[in-house]
Amino acid sequence: MQILFFALRNFNRARTRTWITVGAMAFACAIMIFYASLLEGWLAGMEKNAVGMDLGEFQIHARGFRADPDLYKRIGGEENVLAQLGRQGFVAAPRLYASGLAAAGNASSGIELRGVDLAREPLVTALNAHVWRGQWLAQEDQAGVVVGRKLARILGLGVGDEVVVVAQAADGSTANELFRVRGILKSVAEGVDRSGFLMPSATFRRMMIVPHGVHQIVVKRQIPAEDLNRATTRLARLLPNHEVRNWRQLQPVLARLFEMSDISLVIMLLITYAAVGILTLNALLMSVFERIPEFGVMKALGFSPWGLFAMIVAESMFQVTVAAFLALAVGLPLSLYFSSHPIDFSGFVQSSSTIAGVALDAKWYCVVTMNSVVLPILFLYLVAGLAILYPALKAAMLKPLAAIHHR
Amino acid sequence: MQLATMAWRTLMRNKRRSVITAFSVAFGVLLSVTFTASGDYAYTNMINTSAVMGLGHLSVEHPDYQDTPTLDKRLLEAEAVRQRALQIPGVTAAQVRIMGQAMFAGGAKSVGGVFIAIDPAQETPAHNIFLRTLIAGQCFSLGEEHGVVVGARMAEKLNLRLGKKLVFTMTDTNGELVSELGRVSGIFKTGDDSVDGGVVLLPLALVRRGLGYEPTAASLVAIFLNDHRQAESVKGTLARFLARSKEITVLTWQESQADLAGLIGVDRLFSYLLQFLVGLVIAAGIMNTLLMSVMERQREFGIMMALGMMPGQVVRLVLLESCWLGILGLILGVVITTPWFLYMATVGLDFSAQIGEDYSAGGVLVDPVMKFRLYRESALCIAGAVFSLTLVAGIFPAFKAGRTTPVENLKQG
Repeated sequence: MQILFFALRNFNRARTRTWITVGAMAFACAIMIFYASLLEGWLAGMEKNAVGMDLGEFQIHARGFRADPDLYKRIGGEENVLAQLGRQGFVAAPRLYASGLAAAGNASSGIELRGVDLAREPLVTALNAHVWRGQWLAQEDQAGVVVGRKLARILGLGVGDEVVVVAQAADGSTANELFRVRGILKSVAEGVDRSGFLMPSATFRRMMIVPHGVHQIVVKRQIPAEDLNRATTRLARLLPNHEVRNWRQLQPVLARLFEMSDISLVIMLLITYAAVGILTLNALLMSVFERIPEFGVMKALGFSPWGLFAMIVAESMFQVTVAAFLALAVGLPLSLYFSSHPIDFSGFVQSSSTIAGVALDAKWYCVVTMNSVVLPILFLYLVAGLAILYPALKAAMLKPLAAIHHR
Repeated sequence: MQLATMAWRTLMRNKRRSVITAFSVAFGVLLSVTFTASGDYAYTNMINTSAVMGLGHLSVEHPDYQDTPTLDKRLLEAEAVRQRALQIPGVTAAQVRIMGQAMFAGGAKSVGGVFIAIDPAQETPAHNIFLRTLIAGQCFSLGEEHGVVVGARMAEKLNLRLGKKLVFTMTDTNGELVSELGRVSGIFKTGDDSVDGGVVLLPLALVRRGLGYEPTAASLVAIFLNDHRQAESVKGTLARFLARSKEITVLTWQESQADLAGLIGVDRLFSYLLQFLVGLVIAAGIMNTLLMSVMERQREFGIMMALGMMPGQVVRLVLLESCWLGILGLILGVVITTPWFLYMATVGLDFSAQIGEDYSAGGVLVDPVMKFRLYRESALCIAGAVFSLTLVAGIFPAFKAGRTTPVENLKQG
């Protein structure tokens, strides 16, 4: 108790120095809280774009379709499968795929035709709300299609323009049809941007002569808290004759990127705090060395070495605590502000920039999580704790007589 | 001069404190070099990789080709442009290419993709990533009219092997669909699935004939430079050369690969911001030290002023101390940074186990080995920034030292 009292009193003795040290620690910690929130926000944005726009949390295919996509490798009895998934607490939407050639004016490009279930797709992805120009697909407009952004550029297409599609239908005949561009998507992912050509599933079935079956079922958990791997196992057991993959398996590069960013946050913390550590060390060293005679007197009066050690540690921990509160007071509101007012990088990032094939959002939000607040503060205590060891030990081991005469 | 000696002596009076402070400056140098050099290396690498993926560091093309890259937009005198470009110092290669969209069919299956029609006599693996990453066969030779080189993923999708037929369909200058037949002579694998599944190399002569192009026409001339930072100046020279030609434009990699330029811009901005923030923390440390030493020496300043030193000289004395600290810090920084830099510049850290070899950003594969490279201007910038930060940190303590009167100072002792 006495030690704490001493430590508290010492806090106020060299005010300028104490406050510069506390200020620098608080500043670094506040910056790191903000940085961590920004990183969490970036990751959440990437995950939302990758998983929520196109990939879905899980995908189900007929065996062999992923390795070698083929119009004929379909999941049969899809109504049954969808009903089964619904009973097990999953939301699902079927998709149909084929490749073809689209031509408009003097340009042509290979495309990936996609038949979309207009009622179910919005339940699993937010693609319908991600239209850049024009509108999303509509049941009453069977000849209206939505295309990827880069594809629109390659073909010189605008909303309302006509585009011809040639493809090989399931019966071997040449499917040839005229469509009208109803909408152009915002940047989603490299594949969709470059070759996505979306139409209502009824149109797809009629054009490609595929009356039954689907190529892909995109699935989402109804309870987002359920563990991804456990849900994958549950799905695989439910549909033993199909290929079930979660998004981490479908996009391993992205999954690795997410794992890496936790490490990169820790590295950033270590680097920034190393500077704080040196600063704290220097400040504490100064405060210990100018008080050597004082410590000598304290020891001569019966203060134990450990008591002195504890007092100096308590002193610095007190400073760190003040710094942590200051950092919270600045970093938290800052991060919360930017969680509703995104930082806009659209001047820098092209609307079609991608990382690991996933579209990069030009607007970055902060996401404040337990991790992004607690980790920087925890690290601050750790670094300051390490920095104090040397000066505190030095003081603890002083010889009283020599210390009193120290000048 | 005398002041400088005095300042140095003061610093040396408390060696431990000065060395720790100088060490924090040195740490700042180490950090700044780490951030900047890893960035300089990674950006150079990404820019060069992106260049060898098709468009070069500079591309000369039809003014409308960038917005809608259709095959009716072409350079009529592509070969002449190439010869011109090769005369400019700094240009290492110039390749005439036709690039466009096509539908590729093998057996019963077909996929859409991009083709790059190349002249096998001009192309080398150094300027063409697909020829550098061949895993089977080889590039078609000049005599081999129908040779094609496909990506591994496309070969898998279309069940293609060496010697197999590949039919490609494209839109000619009149808007008509034309098909040509090729045979697989090589298969490449860059590691990026969308590239390996969507890019095909075709012979320039075959595509020219198929599209009905003139014998010297092409979509673009891709120009490669010794150093990507010369792009703007070479563009200027080239634009002067081509001033009289109509329907021709020169684009730097920043213009033709705006995605990549944007990513690099944001990344660089973040790196600078972070360096600046860490710099502020370090500056606070230096200010703390100087302030301490100023407070301790109030009496000393009092005596100096009583002996005739002007307040301005006291201010200068403390500023010189921070100047010495900066120099000491820089020297220490060079000492601790050099071994780290040399290791990273030659060996580097291999992150391929963590991020894999197929990680791409802005559509360009990223090297999983982190290495260092420091541009001369970056190094000067770091030295300048560190030094000025140290000086700025000395301003407040210096003025504090110069403000008080001799009598008050003497009393404090």
